Amino acid sequence: MRLLRIAAAAELSTLLVLLANLLTVHAKAITTLCGPLHGVSYVAVIAATSLASSTAPNGALWRAFIPGIGGLLAQRALGVRRG
Amino acid sequence: MLLEHVLLSVHVLGSIVFVGGSAVATSLFPRYAPAAGGEGRSRDVAVALHRITGGYAAFGLIVPLVGMVMAGVQGRMGEIWIIVSMALTAAAALLLATQIYPRQRQALADPGDGDPARLRRLSMLAGFYNLTWAIVVVLMIARPGSGAGA
Repeated sequence: MRLLRIAAAAELSTLLVLLANLLTVHAKAITTLCGPLHGVSYVAVIAATSLASSTAPNGALWRAFIPGIGGLLAQRALGVRRG
Repeated sequence: MLLEHVLLSVHVLGSIVFVGGSAVATSLFPRYAPAAGGEGRSRDVAVALHRITGGYAAFGLIVPLVGMVMAGVQGRMGEIWIIVSMALTAAAALLLATQIYPRQRQALADPGDGDPARLRRLSMLAGFYNLTWAIVVVLMIARPGSGAGA
């Protein structure tokens, strides 16, 4: 599930960039760029998890709602179920 | 200038093809989904509509991404019509991902014993989904709160 992998990486990395920016230089350009990107990747993680968990619902979708690391947790939950 | 034209073309084309495709598929799914006593219903058509709903919506992700790049390039990120549109887009995506798509899957996996309430609910959710996009399009055209006077 490539979409989930990309979205999960984007979700975490944009959040880290936002927090680092908040703690250091407060550059407005970084906030206006990464804020919406983080929002989109958060929603994309939830959507991708919903598309990926094709059989009986498991905990993956609810893990996807967790901010920041939800994508990674969902990937893990889906991977565990497969393997 | 050329870059903005390319971005706008991708944005509009993506919204017509991908968002439009998934919107049509969500609307038509309850009409074809397997149910008791339905005439002209077809499981194969419903499966295809289900796949269009999910697949086209996933490709539709390009539309908000390009839109945000455009808003950033033009320095419009803080304008109210863009913020409201982004919120509505997120709401539509969550509605599709957490309600419509899983309910379609359920309707296909377990056709039930003619439970029309389930398909009616899917029709209603598809209506909300399409209404959200209609509002977003109106916002994109009217641009309330636009600094450049539309």
